[in-house]
Amino acid sequence: MPKVKKKRLSFVIDMTPLVDITFLLLTFFMFTAKFKTEAESQQKFFIQRPKVTADTSKIPDRNIAIVKIAIRDTVDGVVVNDTTYNYELVNESDRQQVWASLEGLPEKMKAKPMLENISLDMLSTVIRNTRITNPRTMFAIDADRRVRYKWVWDAMEVMRKNRATIFNYVTEKKSGL
Amino acid sequence: MSGASGGLAAPVRVKRGKLSKRKKGKRVGFTLDMTPLVDITFLLLTFFMFTTTMAAPQVMEMSIPPESVPIEVKENELLTLRLRNDGKLFWNMANDEPKPVSIKDVRKIAETENLRPEVLNKLITVFKVSEDAKYGEMIGVLDELNLAEIKISDVISQKKDSEGNPEKRKRRFTLAPLDTADVNLIKGL
Repeated sequence: MPKVKKKRLSFVIDMTPLVDITFLLLTFFMFTAKFKTEAESQQKFFIQRPKVTADTSKIPDRNIAIVKIAIRDTVDGVVVNDTTYNYELVNESDRQQVWASLEGLPEKMKAKPMLENISLDMLSTVIRNTRITNPRTMFAIDADRRVRYKWVWDAMEVMRKNRATIFNYVTEKKSGL
Repeated sequence: MSGASGGLAAPVRVKRGKLSKRKKGKRVGFTLDMTPLVDITFLLLTFFMFTTTMAAPQVMEMSIPPESVPIEVKENELLTLRLRNDGKLFWNMANDEPKPVSIKDVRKIAETENLRPEVLNKLITVFKVSEDAKYGEMIGVLDELNLAEIKISDVISQKKDSEGNPEKRKRRFTLAPLDTADVNLIKGL
């Protein structure tokens, strides 16, 4: 009588090395993850930052106000394809105070984390109020590399008038060497 | 409760031999079903992998004078860079004729001109940018000037001042708009 081969019902794989590696990668990604700010996640435009050689100075997480100069294809659903000024204040408590201090700001803009499509006059007021609210606030210009220099220069002039004379240009690391 | 079941309970020594009635098989190893653990770990891993942005933005610090007050500068201590609206770059010392230059060579020019012994630590670089030039090009030139600073401040810090401390780099560069006179100067070049 031939031997009846027993069918294997289950088998065990040693998953320990797999788990080791997975945990290693998981911890790595967990610690390096940096989440978008509230304003960034709601932002409807994308800024192509100018590329420069690698620098170790990273953009600070706190006490920073960012003037975003972006090329926007649409403003409130209307196709414009124009350059706009946007203003983001990272500290939430400062933001509430500054936004509340602005006169003539539409109510629906007050709830937003970023002031979108503002005029130079409004930019000037908001920078002044930011400096009054929190004098330690640092300023940064985050402009698209395709915009005309005039837009950046105007923003810099506004900052100069409000005595925010030290600021940062937000850039991106050039790939390769 | 058997002695070998948990790690938390104090180990009960089981005497092997005549006293123990039941002979226990020695546990060499044990298998734990790790599948749920792996499931969850992979889920989290993929989540973090997809949400992480690797290229974090960096910043380039810039400082501008509080008021646009004209500063007296000696002519031979002035290096002018002009960026025209079509992205072409020109440079000249003092009142020389502006010469076209590519962005890549800015670093070399800034280094040689700044390190000439008679103007060392005195030279001022004025960077005039046309309103219609692209912002990205202007940052490219600033980046090259920043790179040149490494060598310049290195040479300057090797010199000692009267108290024996290494000398500090004083002047760097300023930004200015390109006015009509400048536009005419580099027209047709």
